[in-house]
Amino acid sequence: MQKSKFLPRGRKDRTVVMVDIRETKSAKAADHFLQVRPGKDFELLTIMRAMIKDQEISEAEVAATGVSMEVLRDLIDQMKKAKFGVMFFGMGLSMTRGKHMNAAALLTFAAEMNAFTKFVAMPMRGHGNVTGADVIMRWQTGYPFGISLNRGYPRYNPGEFSTVDVLVRGDTDCAFIIGADPGATMPKPAIDHLAKVPTIVLDPHVTHTSRLSRVHITTAPAGIAAPGTGYRMDEVPMPLKPALNSPYPSDEEVVRRIKEAIAEKPDWMTNQPQMIESQV
Amino acid sequence: MELKVIENATCTFCGCVCDDIELHADDMRIHQAKRACILGKSWFLNHTAEKKYPEALIDGQPASLDDAIQVAANYLYDADMPLVYGMSNTTCEAQKECVAMADLLGALLDSHTSL
Ligand code: SF4
Repeated sequence: MQKSKFLPRGRKDRTVVMVDIRETKSAKAADHFLQVRPGKDFELLTIMRAMIKDQEISEAEVAATGVSMEVLRDLIDQMKKAKFGVMFFGMGLSMTRGKHMNAAALLTFAAEMNAFTKFVAMPMRGHGNVTGADVIMRWQTGYPFGISLNRGYPRYNPGEFSTVDVLVRGDTDCAFIIGADPGATMPKPAIDHLAKVPTIVLDPHVTHTSRLSRVHITTAPAGIAAPGTGYRMDEVPMPLKPALNSPYPSDEEVVRRIKEAIAEKPDWMTNQPQMIESQV
Repeated sequence: MELKVIENATCTFCGCVCDDIELHADDMRIHQAKRACILGKSWFLNHTAEKKYPEALIDGQPASLDDAIQVAANYLYDADMPLVYGMSNTTCEAQKECVAMADLLGALLDSHTSL
């Protein structure tokens, strides 16, 4: 691991604490492992938020999370002593009981830790340039994801406008999928809805989602045959250096052409207003 | 066939986005991806410049790119509440176009982050 001016001994100067519901391989690579009871993330985070401010917590409340008071005290002590802490979180937090509220609790916890020392929270990313999507959406609309533009201005509400919820409720009547394969990863009711409505897929491969779509367009794989920019997990932009020339067009070109084809049609805001006129 | 070496190439398979990969490639495929991890290696080595798939499919049938673009635009325009989703395995330049398109459509806009 990197050695630096402030951490000259590399990994030895760093402390990794793993919190999970089971002991995984990553837990073995960590210095400490906390086993939290499934579905108790929100409680644990809220208890820790109270403890950093020396508020009173009963033993029974702590015991319900599966972690002991002693271990928590020790952890908070170490966190406060750290020079720079990072809370990494993944889908285990945001896809279990509590969902977005768990992530919100963690973000608040990280913000509150800054009363003692520098702390940040960072989502662990799976595929490629998800971070770039956050950055671009934030730049263009002010929100990172879960956005609705159907009133002509951006509104943000994860849980209402997030894709899984939209699909499971059956709210959308046309889906445009790029650089993702929800047909392989999403819950069945969501996939069923994708198959029901016209779905358009842009992908270098014919994917699970392509098979249930009305339109599939093959594009050049980003970073391998298409140039551009990709964001690293910590929001540092990196230029991509494609090694191959693809026979297919890039995502950028195809999306731009679809956008241009739509722009030639009359504006929907004035021609197909999405409101019930008798109520206006 | 000429073998090119690309220094400090960027891997976009996972969020780490390593930018110190050395790629050895000819016109058709990448032969070596030095310093990439196992996942990165298979990512680079599994993509080729071959024309494996038709340029577009409409209702499962091979179609031309121009037709596919027009049909896609029609579906999106005709929808009351279209959804633009994904944007992870693609470039920021394409993401920007997606946001502009969603704005034009009055669409829902979302990425993998919401999972
Ligand atoms: S080389 Fe491995 S760790 Fe680095 S970005 Fe690619 S997949 Fe991730």
